[in-house]
Amino acid sequence: MESETLNNLTFRQGCQEGFPIFVGYFPTAMAFGLVCRDLGLRIWEAVLFSVTNFAGSGQFLAANLIGGGALLAELFISVLLVNLRYSFMGAELNRNLEKGIRGWRRALLAHGTTDEVFSVAVLHREPISKAYLAGLELTAYSGWVSGTAIGFLVGMILPPALQLAVGVTLYAMFSSLLAQEFHQKGFKVLAIAGVSAALNSFLILQCSMAIGWSFVISMLAASFFGAMITVDSEEAS
Amino acid sequence: MMKAFPFIIPILVSALATFLVRALPYYASFLDRLPRFLSKSLRLLPIAALGPLIFPGVILDFQGHWYAGLIGILCAAFIAYRKNSMIIPILLSIVVTYLLLL
Repeated sequence: MESETLNNLTFRQGCQEGFPIFVGYFPTAMAFGLVCRDLGLRIWEAVLFSVTNFAGSGQFLAANLIGGGALLAELFISVLLVNLRYSFMGAELNRNLEKGIRGWRRALLAHGTTDEVFSVAVLHREPISKAYLAGLELTAYSGWVSGTAIGFLVGMILPPALQLAVGVTLYAMFSSLLAQEFHQKGFKVLAIAGVSAALNSFLILQCSMAIGWSFVISMLAASFFGAMITVDSEEAS
Repeated sequence: MMKAFPFIIPILVSALATFLVRALPYYASFLDRLPRFLSKSLRLLPIAALGPLIFPGVILDFQGHWYAGLIGILCAAFIAYRKNSMIIPILLSIVVTYLLLL
């Protein structure tokens, strides 16, 4: 039995290692629930959003675009690009994953890939069992989905004045992420994000471009710019 | 049905885009063999995404008080830089923005 050689990476172990992710996801998902409520979604639509997407910045972006009345094509390409990193994480995870997982199990495990799940799972040197990965992903997933529902419900009792201020949540999350990236990787991060922010503002305010396309163009241009200013010996990650 | 639930289709389109990029590496392996410049650029996409996710939205959303959101996120960024947490910065930015909107 292959599972005997993997017995230290059990479902239970996955759940335990997933718990910190649960704690981190819950408030962020609450913010997402609040945003959905502001956009006029019903609670089950907000929950469906998190159940089917399970992607932090991807979902916030999608919600933003839906609120701005973007075309489906803009939505599709923007979300695809902002989530493209999952392809690279998946490639890495797939290399370490126990062999012989097929069909819907494989698809479900792929659906659970997120930045945080990836960064916890790749710390293990031995092959990752599907039970472990399932436990890890399921714990993270439950934090994300339940947080969305609770956030939506909390939004119903907030006074209107606070509702407008809560709109800043989304931007605060992105700026916090940016500050942490800056802390880890230095000024290159500010340069790349600065270029994309300036370009996006220019395209929207001066050229009245649709927000979805503007987003795609600024993001691609800034990442090419970033690749050019990154020294070859240094690993861009 | 489309009229009654205008959000279903966009939600599912977004889900499809997300699922495709997740499933891709489990079924294809060409990602390991991309040209160096391209794979470097692709890895920088999440950082490049942060700029347009914040600007100009954070200024336009609070039109009468364009600075309210901006000061809110600056506070959040400052705390997030010092401490590796997301919850406190986000809560702080809500409080700051709320006070500036009063």
